[in-house]
Amino acid sequence: MSVSSVMHRALFAALLLVGTHAFALTIDYDPRRATELRACDDARYRGQVQQARDCYRRLLETSGNLITQAEAAWALGDVQRANTLFREATARNDRSSQPRVRWGRLFLQTHQHGDALTLFQEALQRSQNDVYAKLGMAQVFAQRFEGQARTIVDEVLKQDDTLIEAYLLRARMDLEEGQLENVDATLDRAQHLADRQRLPPLEIYALRAVHEQIKQGRRRDQWIERALSYNPRYGAIFEQLAHFEVMRRRYREATQLLKRAVEVQPDLWSAHAELGANLLREGDFAQARIHLTTAYSGDPYSATTVNTLRLLDHVDKFEVSSTTLEIPSINGGTFKTELRTRLDPKEADVLRPYVRKLAAESIETFAKRYQFEPREPIALELYPNHDDFAVRVAALPGIGLLGVTFGYLVAMDSPAGRATGEFHWGSTLWHEMAHVFTLEVTDHRVPRWLSEGISVFEEWRTGPTPGVVVTPETIGALHANKFLPIADLDSGFIRPNYPEQVQVSYMQAGLICLFIEQRFGFDRLVALLKQFTKDTTTKRAVEDTFKMPTEEFDKQFDAFVRERYEPLLANLESWQAQYQQASKAIAESRWQDAIEPARRAVELYPEHSGPNSPYLLLARAYDKSGNRAQALQTLLDYRAAGGWDPDALRELARWLDEAGRGREALEVYAALNYVDPLNGDQHTVLGERYLAAGNHEDALREFRVQLALSPHDPAPAHFGMARALRALGDRAASRRHLLDALETAPHYKPAQALLLQMIEERKRNE
Amino acid sequence: MKREATGYRLQATAIHSSAQRGREGLRATARGLLFTASLFMAAPALSDTHALIIAGLGGEQQYEQRFRNQAKALAEATEKLAGDKSRVTVLMGERAQRDNVRKELRALAARTKRDDQVLIVLIGHGSYDGEEYRFNLPGPDITGSELAALFDRLPARDQLIVNSTSASGAAIDRWKRDNRVVITATKSGGERTATRFAQYWLEAVTTKAADTNRDDVVTAAEAFEFANRRVADSFKSDVALATEHARLEGRGAERIAVARFGNAVLATSDSVLSALYTERAGVERELDALKQRKATLEPEAYYDELEGVLVRLATLQQRIDARQAVLRGESE
Repeated sequence: MSVSSVMHRALFAALLLVGTHAFALTIDYDPRRATELRACDDARYRGQVQQARDCYRRLLETSGNLITQAEAAWALGDVQRANTLFREATARNDRSSQPRVRWGRLFLQTHQHGDALTLFQEALQRSQNDVYAKLGMAQVFAQRFEGQARTIVDEVLKQDDTLIEAYLLRARMDLEEGQLENVDATLDRAQHLADRQRLPPLEIYALRAVHEQIKQGRRRDQWIERALSYNPRYGAIFEQLAHFEVMRRRYREATQLLKRAVEVQPDLWSAHAELGANLLREGDFAQARIHLTTAYSGDPYSATTVNTLRLLDHVDKFEVSSTTLEIPSINGGTFKTELRTRLDPKEADVLRPYVRKLAAESIETFAKRYQFEPREPIALELYPNHDDFAVRVAALPGIGLLGVTFGYLVAMDSPAGRATGEFHWGSTLWHEMAHVFTLEVTDHRVPRWLSEGISVFEEWRTGPTPGVVVTPETIGALHANKFLPIADLDSGFIRPNYPEQVQVSYMQAGLICLFIEQRFGFDRLVALLKQFTKDTTTKRAVEDTFKMPTEEFDKQFDAFVRERYEPLLANLESWQAQYQQASKAIAESRWQDAIEPARRAVELYPEHSGPNSPYLLLARAYDKSGNRAQALQTLLDYRAAGGWDPDALRELARWLDEAGRGREALEVYAALNYVDPLNGDQHTVLGERYLAAGNHEDALREFRVQLALSPHDPAPAHFGMARALRALGDRAASRRHLLDALETAPHYKPAQALLLQMIEERKRNE
Repeated sequence: MKREATGYRLQATAIHSSAQRGREGLRATARGLLFTASLFMAAPALSDTHALIIAGLGGEQQYEQRFRNQAKALAEATEKLAGDKSRVTVLMGERAQRDNVRKELRALAARTKRDDQVLIVLIGHGSYDGEEYRFNLPGPDITGSELAALFDRLPARDQLIVNSTSASGAAIDRWKRDNRVVITATKSGGERTATRFAQYWLEAVTTKAADTNRDDVVTAAEAFEFANRRVADSFKSDVALATEHARLEGRGAERIAVARFGNAVLATSDSVLSALYTERAGVERELDALKQRKATLEPEAYYDELEGVLVRLATLQQRIDARQAVLRGESE
C-alpha cells in the first residue's frame, strides 16, 4: 500500500488537463532570425497564406542558409524536412547555439519536451548567456506547469530587459495564476518593444483579450477584432482564450471559442485537438472523434491526440447504462436526476449496483447540504486500466490522478485500476461527486482550492470512510510553516514549489473547510461557496463572508490548526521515534515491546489512519500478545478514524464474528465493497448474512455480483440466488438458479435438499 | 480469500486409492476399507497412491522457508489421500540433493505397480538456458532430461507430475506421456520469475475450495483450474503483469484425485450401499451425457430434463446418507 485517497487525486486537478500543446503561429522574436525570412513571416503573420507559402517555398529552394531552409520547411508544415535541415545545420555549426535553439523550438511545437530541453541545454553549453535557449527552457517548464519557469524568466529579464517573449511568458503565467496586478504593465512593455522592433502584436493582443476575459472586462472582443484585422486567420487568439476557460473549468465556453478558432483557421490542428479533448470533457464522443481525427491528419506527432483516438476505439465497447434516481428534495417531495454510467463490460455487472447506490447517496447528501439540485444528467465513467483513465482525462498515460470531474461528467479509476488496498474507490467517487456540486452551484467559478477543500472535507464528514485523515506530509508542512495564505492557495495546486505541495494544498484546503465549519458553522461554508455564483476573487469572497481581511482569516486558521495538532507539533520527533520503535519491534516479532510505542504513536497522532497507520501496528501487537479484545478495539478505532485498509477490515470482520458481534461484522463486510468489490468471497459472506437477516433484496444483489465475477465455484452464488429469489416470490427464477447450482455441483447437499423440497411443494400444489 | 477447511478427516486405516479408471470397477477390498463415495465407484482393486514431494533450493531465507513449509503441508495432505504415510516421501533441504532425487525416483519406480497412482510435486526454483530445464537443488541441479528419464521408469498407469517452479514450462513437452498428466506453473522456460502457483496448489489440496462438484474429492483438473485462477487473480489484484501462466498437458486430470475430504466413508462390503453407489454412478453418467447435449436442447427442455436427473441423484444421496448412518451406528 503506497498511496491513497486524496494524496493522488487532483480534480480537474493537475493542470496537465488543460493541455500542453504549444500554440500555433508562435513568433520567433530572436534578432538572429535571418532577414531573408522577414518578408515571408510578414505575409504569414498577416494571414496571407498563399503569398507566405510561395515565399517560404522559394527560400527553401534557393537559400544557401540551412537554418533559413529549415525555418521555411517548418513554416510550410514539413516538420520532417525541417528536422533534417536543423540536424544538418547543427552538425555544420557545432559551436553555434542558435540552430540548437530553433531546433529545440521545433521539438517543443511537436510535443517532444525531453528532446527540446536537451537541445536548449546543448545551446547553453555553447553559449551560456543565450537568452533564447533559456526562454525555450522556460517555455517547456511553463507548459508543464513547473515552478522553474518563472525563475528563468526573471533571470533572463535581468540579463536583457528588451526580450518580448520573456514579457509575454511572464504575462501568461500571471494570467494562469490569477495574479492580474502587473499584467497590463507587462503587456504594455511587450507592446512597446514589438512596435519598436516592428514585430507583429498578435500574441500581445491575445493575452490582452485573455486578461479582459478573466477580469470580465468589456474590451475582450475589441482585442479579438484588432487581432483579426491584423490577421483574419489568427485562430490562435480563440485558442488562447479557450485555454484559460478550460483552466477555469468553463468547458462550454471553451468549446465555443475553439469552434471559432477552427472556423477562422481550419488548419489550426492544435485547436482541433483541444476542441476534441474539450468535447470529451462534455461527454460528446462523436464530435470529439471528428476533431481529433482532423487534428491527427495535420499533426500526427501529438501523443495526446493519438492516445485519445486509440482510447475512443476502446471505450466504444464500454457498457453505457442509465437510470433515473428519485432523490428527496430540499423543498420537500422529490426530484429526479438521470445517472449515466459508462463501465467496462468485464466489470459492469459487479460495479453498477455499488456505483449507483453510492452516487444516489452522494447526490442526496450534497443536494441537501449545498441546496442545489443537478440540472443535467450526471455521467460516471470508471476505467479498469489506469492508463486508459489517464488518457481519458489528460491524454497522457502514467499520471497519478484517481478521479477527475468535468462538471456533470466524472471519470475515475475503477477498483481494478490499482492494486488492492491502494485506493478507496468509494471515497474517490464521493470526492468527485462533491466537485460536481461545487462546480455546478457556481457555474464553474469556484476556485480550485475551495472545490478541492470541500471535496476533501466531505470525504471526512459524509463520505464512506468518515474521519479526518491528515497525512504526515501535511503535518510536516504545517510544522515548517509551509501552509499558504488562503488568497494564494490556488498556486499550491497550479505551480507547486516543492514535491508534496499539491498534496499538502489538498489537505490545507480541507482543513480550512473544517475550520470554517467548526468556527463559524457549516452554513458559512455554503455561503462562501455561493459567493462564487458571481465573478469574484478568493480575497473578496472571504472578506464578504467572514467580514475580515484574508490576513486575519489566515491568522485564525493558523491558530486553529496549531491548536488542533498542538500535542503532535510539540512532540513531532518523539512521535517519529515511537512510531519507528513500534515498527522495528513488530518487524522483529517483539509484540509486547511494540505495544507501548504504538499506543503512544496513535495517541499523539490519531488522524494517521492512512497507509502504514500506527493503529495497524498496535492492533497487531495486541493480537499477537494474546490480547484480542484490545486488538479488536484498536481496529474499531482505526476504522472510526477513517482507516480502510482491506486486509485490516477483513481481519476486523472476522474478529467481530468470533466475538459474536455479527451485526457489526456485517457492516464491515459491506464497507469492503467500497474498497475491494472485486473479491468474490465477501459477496458470498454478505449474501448469506443478508439472507439470514431476511434482507432478500440485498442478498440477491450480493449473489448476483458474485456471479458477475465469474467465480471458480459458482454453485454457492446460484444457490444463494435461488433462495433469495424464492423468498422474494420468483419461483421460476429460483428454480433455474437452483438447477444451475446443481449442474455445477451435483453433490451439493443443501441444494439437493432444496430441490427435493421444491418438488415436494410442487406436488402438494398440483 | 482462503476458505477454511471443513475439518473432515478420512477415517480409513488404509486407503486403497483414488484414481478412477472407468466406472465399471465397483469392488470391495478385503479389509472393508472406507472410501469417499465417488472414488469408491471407480477405484481399481488393490491400487495405491504413491507420492514424492521435492522442495528445491530456496537460495534466500524467505524462499527456503516457504518451500519447506509448502512441502510439509503438501505432504500432510497427500498422506491423507494415500492413507499411509509410508507412501509419501518428502525431500527438502540437504536431503534434496541430486543423488537423493535420483535414488528416490528409482525407489518409487521399484515399489509402484501398474495399477497404482503416482503423484510427483516439485517446489522451488527452476531455470532454462534455452536448451535445458534445470530444477535447482542444493549442490548440482538436475536437468529436465534426466528427470524425464527417471519418470519414464515409473510403471504406474496414472501419473501426475506437478512442476511448480519458475521456467517449468520448458520441461512440459519432454515429460508428457499418454499415461501422464503434467502440470507446470509457467507456460515456457521464458517465465523465470519466482512463481506463486505452489501456494495456490496447496490451497487446492488442503481446503475444499477447489471441490466445485462437491463430491468431497479434489481432482487434478479441479486443483489446476483453482490454482490457475487464483494465480491470475493475485496478479490482477496487484495490478501487476502476470509473470506466470500455468499449463496442463495430458488426459485424465479429472480422474486423478489429489485430495479427499468428508465422511463418506463406509464399509464397502455392505451390499446395499454398493448397489446404491452403482446406481448413483449410472445417474452421474446420465447427467454428464445430458450436459453434453445442452447446446442442442431448448433451455426449457434442458432444465426439465436436468431437474429429473438431479432429483434422482438427490434422492439416491438421501438413501446413501441414510444407509451410511445406519452402518456408522452399527460400527460405533
